[in-house]
Amino acid sequence: MPAWRTKTSLRLKALIHRRAFERDLEDEIDFHLAMRERKQQNLGLGADAARYAARQRFGNVTLLKEDTREMRTFTFFETLWQDVCFATRTLRKSPAFLAVVVLSLALGIGANSTIFSVLNTLMYRPLPYEQPDRLMNIGETEAGRPNSGEGEPPAIADAADWKKQSHVFEDIALTSFTEPTPLAGDGGAEQAHAQFVTPNFFHLMGVSPMFGRVFTASEAQDLTQTVIISSPFWKRRFNSDPRVLGKTLKISGVLSTVVGVMPPSFGSFFGDPLDLWVPIDADSTRYSERKDHWLVAIGRLKPGATQSQAQIEMNLIARRLEHAYPATNKGVGARVEPLHDALYSGAGRYLYPLMGAVVCVLLIACVNAANLLQGRTETRRTEFAVRASLGAGRRRLMRQLLVESGLLGLAGGALGIALTFAGLRIFRALAGGDFSNADGIPVDIRVLLFTLAVSFATAMLVGTAPAFQAARTDLNLALREGERRTTAGIGGRRTRHALAVSEIALAMVLLVGAGLTINSVLRLQQVNPGFDPTNVLRFELSVAEGAPYVERLPGGDIERATPLVAAFYRQLLDKVTAIPGVESAGMMTPFGFVYTFSVLGRPAPPPDKMPRTVFSEIGPAFFRTLKIPLKKGRYLSASDLPGAPWAAVVNDAFARRYFPNENPIGQRLLLRFIDLDQKQPRQIVGIVGDVKWNLPDKDPFPVVYVSYLQQGSDYRGGSIMSHLAQTLMVRSAASLGNRAAGLTAAVKKAVAEVDPDQPVTGLMTMEQSLARSMGDSQFYAYLLEIFASIALLLAAIGIYGSMSYFVTERTHEIGIRVALGAQRANILGLVTRLGLKLSLAGVAIGAALALGLTRVIARFLFGVTATDPVTFAAVGLGLLCIGLLACYIPARRATRVDPMVALRHE
Amino acid sequence: MLVLKTLTRGRMHGYAIAEFIEETTGDVLRVEEGALYPALHRLELRGLVAAEWGVSENNRRARFYRLTAAGRKELGQESAHWNRMTAAVARIMEA
Repeated sequence: MPAWRTKTSLRLKALIHRRAFERDLEDEIDFHLAMRERKQQNLGLGADAARYAARQRFGNVTLLKEDTREMRTFTFFETLWQDVCFATRTLRKSPAFLAVVVLSLALGIGANSTIFSVLNTLMYRPLPYEQPDRLMNIGETEAGRPNSGEGEPPAIADAADWKKQSHVFEDIALTSFTEPTPLAGDGGAEQAHAQFVTPNFFHLMGVSPMFGRVFTASEAQDLTQTVIISSPFWKRRFNSDPRVLGKTLKISGVLSTVVGVMPPSFGSFFGDPLDLWVPIDADSTRYSERKDHWLVAIGRLKPGATQSQAQIEMNLIARRLEHAYPATNKGVGARVEPLHDALYSGAGRYLYPLMGAVVCVLLIACVNAANLLQGRTETRRTEFAVRASLGAGRRRLMRQLLVESGLLGLAGGALGIALTFAGLRIFRALAGGDFSNADGIPVDIRVLLFTLAVSFATAMLVGTAPAFQAARTDLNLALREGERRTTAGIGGRRTRHALAVSEIALAMVLLVGAGLTINSVLRLQQVNPGFDPTNVLRFELSVAEGAPYVERLPGGDIERATPLVAAFYRQLLDKVTAIPGVESAGMMTPFGFVYTFSVLGRPAPPPDKMPRTVFSEIGPAFFRTLKIPLKKGRYLSASDLPGAPWAAVVNDAFARRYFPNENPIGQRLLLRFIDLDQKQPRQIVGIVGDVKWNLPDKDPFPVVYVSYLQQGSDYRGGSIMSHLAQTLMVRSAASLGNRAAGLTAAVKKAVAEVDPDQPVTGLMTMEQSLARSMGDSQFYAYLLEIFASIALLLAAIGIYGSMSYFVTERTHEIGIRVALGAQRANILGLVTRLGLKLSLAGVAIGAALALGLTRVIARFLFGVTATDPVTFAAVGLGLLCIGLLACYIPARRATRVDPMVALRHE
Repeated sequence: MLVLKTLTRGRMHGYAIAEFIEETTGDVLRVEEGALYPALHRLELRGLVAAEWGVSENNRRARFYRLTAAGRKELGQESAHWNRMTAAVARIMEA
């Protein structure tokens, strides 16, 4: 029989006949002792002396039994189980300690695995397409800056040329992100979400339709076209009708036939809702100007080709295009990067600082747990010494402690997992639209395992130091109680103090981060938006970019608006203004195209030095509706009609920049988009205050406001959108409150009366809209606030733990001091001085760290720098106060030390 | 090795093994007697000795150990090794 089988069978036998084994071992040793005893008696010793001699010659019976037992049984697991039971009992005896350690670990772990789950989902999950690592995003670099910035969407015609000239890419497709698109047809009017793609897009991504077909190469006509629908849209709009193929929809006024339905697994890049795919023809003459940068190019590398090969080839092609089209492509390069990076590196910029913050929280939690465990081990020194002297092996003692901390870690991990579920819910709620696929973040099993591993490792790591110390305990020293009180490990105390200091330092870093973002949000909220957002509702409208509102002129990218557009909005404004309870109704296009202009009577600057301004079509009541202050001249009015001379109102920024020393009123401007001049010059009739729309943290841009009624019919390069799309703003006469719903219904009814095919979207109050523009900073501030408060709480616990241990340890000394006449104030000073010293050190180190680290969140700050001294000072002071507060309770206890009790303690 | 060698004399209980080693070595190798038992159990686990309960010379229940075939083989190897070692040491000492 091989040795291991003998071994195992003997062990199993011992396990099953446990009692018999114990009795046998006992018998065997007894027999030996009895024999020896008899022999000693025969040699002439007395009975007692003989027994003593026998025992002495034999050695430590218990230990030898233990050794044998360990050899013959599965002692490891048995004693482990004993340790677990014992640890559970001891831990239950100090519930406060248990709660604090488990809770701090759980908070740290919960925060970590929440953010880790988010990161994992957004950043590291492979794209759900066929061989995603061969998919590359190809962007264009900014003219003249080949090595800086990111790849921007290329001109459509450039991408078409890339596709023709490239040998490294199997194919190159173009796609938009999801675009809101007006849709009409049998199921009523709605705002659908469409992705505009070249016909080869699906093949390139490696997906096939659930049924029907994908686009063929020739399918992208202007007046009729084909469309592919998404699975959710098919369910929602067509009730999963299997005979959907061949049905028609009117997309942006173009009659389109459904030719395919994509499987549910295929959606938009970021998981946001997507209804339709609409084909576009990249070779169309519409794009021959090389100025349409609204589609991204995705290439699939040939098998075996690498990113750098592609980059080299693209550099070559970009240079060729530079020669061929110097007007648009001079200095423009191309950049190849993996599609995954292109899609998600933006999110990473948001998430990595958060990851840093939660790692900080976890560190604090660990340090906290270590601190508490350390303190606990030291107070249990006598217990360990007693157990060691009763024959407990050092290994066993260490294991006991490690089991205890392992249990703490597991408990913390379990609670942490529960917190992860809650944390993800909070993240989703806070992130709102910022991370549109936040909904899809699952609690990944790998993340959970990772979490458990982290918590367990944390606990073990944290538990090791005290365990070693316990194992090294000097029995004699520890057993003599008097010694313990004064010498209890200078080293241990130093470690604990270092731990407390590092907690404060880490908390300082997080608090500074949170402080800076909160500061930013406060400043953002104080920014005067330049108008009165109260009691105003807003709606988004866009008439179809097709019949009957738009005609496309053949050969070029000029679109012609029919008079129906102006008529539609005019009717609508009349109807909405007539709704009872409406004070006024204005509108403004959400599309601010940047126009160039020349001032009549001034020498024209060279074409590349032309002054630039945002061009904004509005309904005349716009200024009154939003209460935008008039600085000079007059507002646009109802009398600025097509027949009258064209008028314009400019904002303050415009007047300051272009007419710093003269009166702009009366000046005449000729506006131009790309190379298309407007039909008539416009006379400046008024100056209004600056409005901070979406970016309250940016300086206002010059704006020219003109009436939607005073427009030519032809628009260049997509700029017709500023005529077609309008944000309708309705000021309620009375406080909005609960009248919002009624008002909304009335406005929707008015829209339907004018054009039943017209969807209304983007419904919210002006105040909500304004709040949304602060989204990023607010979101960041919320998260950092949460993490920082956790950190603060933990740090306070850390200081408290340190100080109260300090007081317990020195009860004896304090007793002597009091007995010798020390005053209450002296004792209070003794304790608080130490607390202050630790806090100060922590704050100083934390401030230094924060100076280096807050730079990563600079992009989310507004009105404060990343090194804002006020924030640093405030946070530092606050932290010091918390530190002092945390030592107050132990200090109070120290002053109440009764010298008699303290001295008798010995 | 000492224990194995002792057991070549036949079946013995622990006390007898201890006595025999002490007597034959003339108390030169005197260790805690208790240490013998973990050693015996280890040998048993390795299958070098076998144990059974029997009755001692003075009619007490005692655990008797005897050498197994594997034990004999092991002893052969160990004593060969030992002989080589001591011979080598002796040669050096005599040189």
